[in-house]
Amino acid sequence: MSEFIETKGLKKIYHVGGQKVEALQGIDLEIARGDFVVFMGHSGSGKTTLVSTIGGLTRPTEGTVLIEGNDIWKLNDKQLSHFRNRKIGFMFQSFSLLPTLNVLNNVVMPAIFSANSGKKDSDTLKSKAISLLTDLDMKRKVNSFPSELSGGEQRRVAIARALINDPEIILADEPTGDLDIRTEREVIDIFCHINNAYQKTLIIVSHSLTWLEKAKTIIVMKDGLIFKDLADPVEAIMDGVCKP
Amino acid sequence: MKILRLALLELLRRPKKNLVIASSIVIAVALLTSLSIVSNSANLAIMEIIAKTGHTLTVRPAVTSAGTNPEEKNQEYKLTTSEVVLGSYIPEAAVPEIMKYYDKAIKEGWEKKGGLVSNPGIPETSLEPATWAPRLFEKAEVDGQEVIVTGIEIRKEYFVRFWWNLTSGDWPAETDVRDVNTNVSTLYTIGSDGKVTIDKTEYGVDSSGRLIAAQDKTGKAAPILKGWDDAYLGGAYAKAKGLKLGDKLTINKSEFTIRGVLEETNSADDYMVFIPLSTAQKLFNKEGQISMVSVRAMCPNCPVGDAMVELNKHVTGITAVSQLDVAGVQFDFFNMLYKFLLAVIVSTIAVGIFSIFNIVTGSLYARIREIGMLKAIGASRFQLFRIFIYEHFILGLAAGICGYVLGLGMAYILNTLLDTGAVIRITTDFLWRALILGIVCSLVAIIYPAYKLSKLKITETFRTQWEG
Repeated sequence: MSEFIETKGLKKIYHVGGQKVEALQGIDLEIARGDFVVFMGHSGSGKTTLVSTIGGLTRPTEGTVLIEGNDIWKLNDKQLSHFRNRKIGFMFQSFSLLPTLNVLNNVVMPAIFSANSGKKDSDTLKSKAISLLTDLDMKRKVNSFPSELSGGEQRRVAIARALINDPEIILADEPTGDLDIRTEREVIDIFCHINNAYQKTLIIVSHSLTWLEKAKTIIVMKDGLIFKDLADPVEAIMDGVCKP
Repeated sequence: MKILRLALLELLRRPKKNLVIASSIVIAVALLTSLSIVSNSANLAIMEIIAKTGHTLTVRPAVTSAGTNPEEKNQEYKLTTSEVVLGSYIPEAAVPEIMKYYDKAIKEGWEKKGGLVSNPGIPETSLEPATWAPRLFEKAEVDGQEVIVTGIEIRKEYFVRFWWNLTSGDWPAETDVRDVNTNVSTLYTIGSDGKVTIDKTEYGVDSSGRLIAAQDKTGKAAPILKGWDDAYLGGAYAKAKGLKLGDKLTINKSEFTIRGVLEETNSADDYMVFIPLSTAQKLFNKEGQISMVSVRAMCPNCPVGDAMVELNKHVTGITAVSQLDVAGVQFDFFNMLYKFLLAVIVSTIAVGIFSIFNIVTGSLYARIREIGMLKAIGASRFQLFRIFIYEHFILGLAAGICGYVLGLGMAYILNTLLDTGAVIRITTDFLWRALILGIVCSLVAIIYPAYKLSKLKITETFRTQWEG
């Protein structure tokens, strides 16, 4: 695995109600291509802020985010939009699918924001979307609307959409946050499949320990910093939980 | 799938809210469209009359108390091409005096305006003496029914009312508009002392009451005047009575032959029977008397209003009315009314846009997470802005079309309520204006919230989710 994502001295300060909150306190991080990284930690530990900064969603107060050696925060709005569109596939816990579009159109939606989407491209995209949905066992639901899908099915559609532009990074924030255990395992298996079959770099934010079984790298965060050289990540995560 | 389709689907997702927004725009567009149509139709109607009679002055007997007050005289008549005055007369001999003051006022007014300098394109020679046409109105029994019979001098009348056309028949052979002015001097001899002698052929009445040519004033037997029993009919009258060219008509026991039927002009002329003035004067025992004189200035920008003032000031027993001035008063009235209603409507639209702005802002902020998601998957600020603009462009377009249709209906109602008397005229311009107004109203309401939202940072749209 070669070096792929790198952050240097990453800081993020929020100003909430006149108070400074340091969400990230100088993060140095390297993620290799094809890695399957799960960020864990308590609420407010800064894991989502870190991931959103890597994904080009939150501008850091200080430091750099290098993807393949390029600092993404030196890009302008258009370039950054293009970067998000082509390099990253996003998945969110909720508000993920547009209710007015059917499954197929939801999946191809990122493509409409790409510069070139002619008739030929449109047909190719639809074929690709159907192929992805088939791979995720959703072919029968191609014409369904989000309201007609279960939570697990909605996740599968969101995964297909994240893959449609063939991005190198899949970034998911609490992708199984509101799912039952069985469905959560199914979704995690899909992520494993994506990591293995499509060679995508996965960056997941989650509170769920179920991910620990499948992740290649686990990063635990606390108070805007990364716990390094953990002998037992679970212990680190659990540290402080239910203790005074 | 394209951004336009995405916008359309998003628009259809909130039908009730968008219907409320659209209805405000529909009302605004309908109000402005109806007002514009009515105003334009009324102005066009006035402009048409001005085009026909704008350089025409009408002189009638002063039949009201206004007769002695020049200012009141000027406001006495409505804008029309032929107001019928019965039972009051002007002596024919007064015409030269009228024309003298008229010509003097026109010349002075013309010079005051800078003459030819301020009227490019009009050669000096075009300031010709005005031409005039007398009329005598009488109620008479025509084929057993009471009708307004109007005595006219065909050649002069035709020249003054140049918009007259015949649907059938011919004008008298000698009718030649070009020499009508020279004809004035042959009908009236003006002495060096300014006195006027009327060279008029006398008529007599035979035992059956039928008019016959008698003698001229020198006592010589006059030849029967060609065309003395010619009759021309107003278009509406001929149609109503089923009369046609060559038919005979009996007026006060005298028989006339129909030589022509006039095209309808939407004026009182349409219901009249026209016979030669001299015949009418004899037939109704009104020799030397006329009911009205129409004066046509021979230049498009002649100061007819000045002439009107001069005539009302100096010539007693008459009332001069400039059609241009009357038209101006009506024009000003409609313009004032239009501006007032426009102000009311624009205020209503401003309030409407503010309401739409509030609804739209609320509606967009309800979509804030969706907007964040679109940004996250690669929608640029401009692409997001385009989605909102497309949505409201479509909404405004649809509202503009509906507003235009509603406005058409309202125009007919407004026209009746305002009693403009104009025929509603609809051009494609109104449709374009309605569409543009609808789109502009819709876009004005969206542009600021759309701009603000498209600029939002993604984490702000996902605040609860991303602030982990």
